[in-house]
Amino acid sequence: MASRKLFALPALVRVTIARSARPFSVLNRPPPRYEGHVPLNAFERVTLAAGSAVMSLMNPRRGDLIAALGETTATPFFIYRLRDAMLSNPTGRRILRDRPRITSKTMSVTKLRALPENGVGRAYVSWLDREGVSPDTRNSVKYIDDEECAYVMQRYRECHDFYHALTGLPVFVEGEVALKAFEFANTLLPMTGLSVFAITRMKPAERIRFWNTYLPWAVSNGLKSKDIINVYWEEELERDVDDLRNELGIKRPPDLRDTRRSLREHKRIAREKRDMMGGLRAD
Amino acid sequence: MIGRGFPKAPRSYICPSCSRSFKLQSRRHATAASPDVYDVVCVGGGPAGLSLLTALRSSKATSHLRLALIESQDLERARTWNLPPDQFSYRTSSLTPSSLSFLSQIGAWPNVDTSRVQPYRHMRVWDGLSSNSRISFDALTSEPPIASMTENQNLSRALITSLDDLPIISLFDKTSVADIHLGPPLSFPAESPTSLDLSSYPHVTLSSNHTIAARLLVGADGVNSPVRTFAGISTRGWDYDRHGVVATLKLPPGTGHSRENPQRVTAYQRFLPSGPIAFLALPGDYATLVWTTTPPQATRLKALSTEDFVAMVNAAFRLDVVDLNYMFTLDSGQVDELEWRESVHPGNKADLGGETPQHIASVQEGSIASFPLRLRHASTYTTNRVALIGDAAHTIHPLAGQGLNMGLADSRSLASAVEHAVLHGADIGNEIACLDRYNEEMWMSNNRMLGAVDKLHWLYSATSGPVVGLRGLGLRTVDALGPVKGWFMRQAGAL
Repeated sequence: MASRKLFALPALVRVTIARSARPFSVLNRPPPRYEGHVPLNAFERVTLAAGSAVMSLMNPRRGDLIAALGETTATPFFIYRLRDAMLSNPTGRRILRDRPRITSKTMSVTKLRALPENGVGRAYVSWLDREGVSPDTRNSVKYIDDEECAYVMQRYRECHDFYHALTGLPVFVEGEVALKAFEFANTLLPMTGLSVFAITRMKPAERIRFWNTYLPWAVSNGLKSKDIINVYWEEELERDVDDLRNELGIKRPPDLRDTRRSLREHKRIAREKRDMMGGLRAD
Repeated sequence: MIGRGFPKAPRSYICPSCSRSFKLQSRRHATAASPDVYDVVCVGGGPAGLSLLTALRSSKATSHLRLALIESQDLERARTWNLPPDQFSYRTSSLTPSSLSFLSQIGAWPNVDTSRVQPYRHMRVWDGLSSNSRISFDALTSEPPIASMTENQNLSRALITSLDDLPIISLFDKTSVADIHLGPPLSFPAESPTSLDLSSYPHVTLSSNHTIAARLLVGADGVNSPVRTFAGISTRGWDYDRHGVVATLKLPPGTGHSRENPQRVTAYQRFLPSGPIAFLALPGDYATLVWTTTPPQATRLKALSTEDFVAMVNAAFRLDVVDLNYMFTLDSGQVDELEWRESVHPGNKADLGGETPQHIASVQEGSIASFPLRLRHASTYTTNRVALIGDAAHTIHPLAGQGLNMGLADSRSLASAVEHAVLHGADIGNEIACLDRYNEEMWMSNNRMLGAVDKLHWLYSATSGPVVGLRGLGLRTVDALGPVKGWFMRQAGAL
């Protein structure tokens, strides 16, 4: 019955079915859906995800691998969830309509420096200065098939530095892991969760600090706060940063650099005391 | 022919000896206390009630029964109902092949204006949360259409016209039921040895102060049926917290399926988490909309401007649920949102070779209405001398378009039970001799349909991932299995 109906279809329909059924292979890659898009099949996707996960754990400075890990693990579900979070929010929808990009051209550092002292823009630029990075150090998305979701991933990536500015967490492994845990609780992107495995690279004292202070902070703030992907950063540059934190429902974590500095100071004083007392432990 | 009030020549079917005694009695004691006795009194002149009377009149065995119809509305308005060909009533129903055969059998179908009826042979149903979960029904050209879209008023007018052509019935229209009670017990000793015992006959007191007695009282009087209350029949069910929004849609001129290729006319239904939205073609460049949604969303829809309402309808067949939910939060600007979303997903714009309905252009002025949805089922359809049909017996969610078809099936079944009783010399008001046949035939099958439609409603209100995945798998499986699909189609068409 069913087969008879299939053959009753006009010839044109049958041809279309046959063409779309041609298998995806290295030799027959579908055309890209947007500029820079690289369509992957399931096997390629899984291999790339596994490979980039292992390699980025060995070398956390490889931003390109972390980017590839983020893109290959974001589908099928997570990036759509994040896009839907944007589509449910008026500002998020506006971002998706305008599709703003954050580069050194659109975010001129000199203009940002002229902004009010405690504004978001100033916090961002002082964070850039302190960490010595630039808005242009972001890769473009290639492995996400849906064009709009690719933009969402791009937006998340470009806003990542604003999240640093907002939370004040630094770029070295400890701060990055804490921020990734926060992002995971907030955006549910698997890469941000997987990045938490980088704690295996941390010193025992850092690990204890992570478990006791930064992870609880990240989980509670990430879950309770609004979706940070829906912040139109370009429009918030002059806004008071504490004001924005309050609106989003984020509490600032203890400053990691200060903590480290004071701990180092503490150790140095202890060492000096020890030396003065002839090598006996004084702490 | 329908005669107003009391006809001069009573045509009662009462067994000859009783009827003789009744005539004698009425001659002897022509007092106000003795009511006029009818064989069948039908309360409610909707499609179910009218089709029952037509069926009884058109059958040879039951054509001589003394019938009365009580209707609170003016039936003259229904008889003279007439709309220009470029206007359609938003109250439409899809009549299944078995309903059509019943209407033809009782001689009502030829009176329906078929230029206003649109049969369809194809159906596309899909899941709003996973658009690749879809099922399609295609009737071959040799098979009857899946169903025919008909305006309820077109059907009512046809039924009234058919009744006009048949022997006279007593019509009490613009008349409501003031009271229903049982007749007085026979005094003892009897005044005369031949006086009738009407103590088990329901006596209906009309708003005009007449009282008529019924051998069989039929309640076709809708959801809040006074006849059901009189009979003490309880109903079970619940409200869905959903409203059905209906409207007559206008397509861009010349794009209606029916004109181009009558064989391609397709009905569409998309299950959104708030409820299904259906697009049902009418003749020419028209279609009817049935959109089940939450009461706040229904209120919002009715408050929108025409352009925004059109955009919402077009969006509801194409866009993601997240977009729809957002668009429901806006007071205006839906046109703009739809345009943007369609530009982002150009794949949505193409009508995918008839897999989604064409874009609608406009909506007929004043045709947007809504009504609350509920499930109700009477615990039984019959008690002694009382039978319930149509909405008085059951109310169903409109997602399968079965409400009117179930009412017509009730009429057919009750009419055939009465016919059977008459042919066998039994009392038509007696449960065991007559009414049980009707109750047994219809109650269980209606209960099955009510249950199945109710479960579909709950299944498709779910939004959780595993449920969506499983129901998609189920739908695709049924779609792939031809015989199973055919069985489902026959079930839906059989009522």
